[in-house]
Amino acid sequence: MAIYAQHGYGKSGKIDAALDSGSIDGVIFGARNEKIENIKSCVDNVREKNGKVLLDPQFHVSAINPANDRFLPDYPFYKAGRTSADFIGVKKISSHVKTTLDFELTLQLDKLLSPTVIFDSFESKWCQTALNLADASLDYHASLQGAPPLLLSFVIGEEALESRNELDDFLDQLTSWESMSGAYIIFSREDYSYSQRFKPERLANALYLNYVLASINGLEVINGFTDFCGLLFRSVGSTAFASGWSQGMRQFHTRSFTKQKPGGQQPRLRYTSAPLLNSILLSELQQIYESGNLDQVLSGVPLDEVITGADSPESSDWNAPTSELHHWESLKLIEKQIGEEVPENLSVLDERIATAQELYLMLKNEGVVFGPQTRPDHLEQWSEAIETFREIASL
Amino acid sequence: MPLPTITEGDIKALIPQISSAVEIGHGGQRVVFRATCNGQPIALKFALLSDTFKPDHEDLEVAILRAQRETQILRECTSPHMVKLGPIGMGTTCIAGQNILYYSEEFIDGQTLNDWLRSDGPLHAKEVVRLGLQMCSAIADLWSLRKIHRDIKPGNIMRRSDGTGYVLLDAGLAFDVAGESISAGFLVGTMAYFSPEQFDYTNRRAMDFRSDMFSLGVTLYEAATGQHPFFTPTTTVTHLFSKIMKQNPVPPSSINSAIPATFDKVILRMMGKSPHLRYRRIEQLRDALAQLQEDL
Repeated sequence: MAIYAQHGYGKSGKIDAALDSGSIDGVIFGARNEKIENIKSCVDNVREKNGKVLLDPQFHVSAINPANDRFLPDYPFYKAGRTSADFIGVKKISSHVKTTLDFELTLQLDKLLSPTVIFDSFESKWCQTALNLADASLDYHASLQGAPPLLLSFVIGEEALESRNELDDFLDQLTSWESMSGAYIIFSREDYSYSQRFKPERLANALYLNYVLASINGLEVINGFTDFCGLLFRSVGSTAFASGWSQGMRQFHTRSFTKQKPGGQQPRLRYTSAPLLNSILLSELQQIYESGNLDQVLSGVPLDEVITGADSPESSDWNAPTSELHHWESLKLIEKQIGEEVPENLSVLDERIATAQELYLMLKNEGVVFGPQTRPDHLEQWSEAIETFREIASL
Repeated sequence: MPLPTITEGDIKALIPQISSAVEIGHGGQRVVFRATCNGQPIALKFALLSDTFKPDHEDLEVAILRAQRETQILRECTSPHMVKLGPIGMGTTCIAGQNILYYSEEFIDGQTLNDWLRSDGPLHAKEVVRLGLQMCSAIADLWSLRKIHRDIKPGNIMRRSDGTGYVLLDAGLAFDVAGESISAGFLVGTMAYFSPEQFDYTNRRAMDFRSDMFSLGVTLYEAATGQHPFFTPTTTVTHLFSKIMKQNPVPPSSINSAIPATFDKVILRMMGKSPHLRYRRIEQLRDALAQLQEDL
């Protein structure tokens, strides 16, 4: 029912433009990427535009060493280099919770997000720490009068999704908290390269997690740092998802929060194609144009005019800001068509995937060559994941 | 070790307030008497203590104190559908060399749901919903004290003969999820009504009221259809375990066409294989049943 902008580095006018165009419904600010002295005005600005606002405190970065934490050290709840010893005992856990939520309460946020730590196994001590932080957050939130609703945050390494039994136990635990009203879920991706691929068995369990929390247990679920997969999660009942303007804000990687050697390439221009269910390179769109099939891959959103109004994609004024806004517009277009009935949503997804596969095949036959990250591999994975999900959810 | 024979004379000698006692039920390590205490009928229950506790692992006195504490908590239950403790407090005695635990409950004039189903067949859909709502009240009452019953089944539900409804019995087996219980160390209850998580003894502390919800779902299924969802006379223990863990039962409406499809949805959800697939709050189940009641 909503798409949020996942705030990251270099917001410039992107948020305003996206809110004005209606392609996003709100913003999840990241404390790491905004100076503490500016965060209030950022929040107020979104509220003035009637957007929804959340602040991801990104508390989890404190347990990454060495952390690429940018402005986080200025925030009162953050301390670099926390270790497991910093989470032993009720007093320490309660203190982390109080400092984090108290800071969030100084802002006019629509929901509070609890502090958490990253874990890559439901059996790990870090998962237990995440659960302790969540439990303590519920307790502290219950003592606050008139506070916004609380969403419990979890950053789950996708490797954790390998074990269905462990996931079941985790879900049993979460749903036993009667005062829980929702969750902010981030899947930390294993593959650092930007693509829509997701190992089917893991994606099936990710779908199951969203389905159980949102559809079965009626909790509000927001998926952070997601991209096209957010549409899959929405289809099984999650309430909203957040996607950023840069590739690093569309998928969560711990590497993004770890100090790296300087360098790296400037990202290449992309075009988000709703029919292909992928974000392809502009050079690939040019090939498609040259094969005479441009109309079939266009998303059908207002910003397509930048492409269609020019002689060719590569000769158009297509640039990074346009591409970023267009990405949200395209996601929003599909998101708006998602209904409330999970089986029906899955059938629609099946059709979309089949159509995208046919389109990819036709383009291949026309000589269009896609790169390793923009090939249709993800479509088969999604299809397999949906089938597995249907089985485990008895749908 | 079988429970030794307990006579009316034994009881009168043990509890002078008792003027009469007639055995009305005997099963396993327990026996139940209909007794008269100060002119009022009560149910007086005796259980073999040495089989209920593990005296080799813990001090008997400590265990008895814990059991007394638990029954005291149960005294706080307010639901009219939860059996009340009787005037005779929990105590212990020794008969024929055996340690025996005894306690009393209110006497309920009626018959067990199990007996009723055997003699009269399945309940009407409306009555099943009424049963469900009343048992919800009992489960909610226990859960407000952070306790679960662990043995909800037709044999532990009394149908009052005055038609006012149902009462959940055997609260003495209620399990304190935060600590030990009088049944510590044992898988209690009847396996055919066990929730999947009840088979995992090592995981017992993770259990909550949703386990009772599963058992109630099985009970309502049986009450509505006359058939147990997992058990038939030829079912082996292994097969029963496997069915409870993995098999989704057929919808009740496919057995009894008088049952509406909306009813299927509620009952089958109560019997979700994992707690997270069931209702998260007992109020949600109560609302769902109330809606069914309105629709019927």
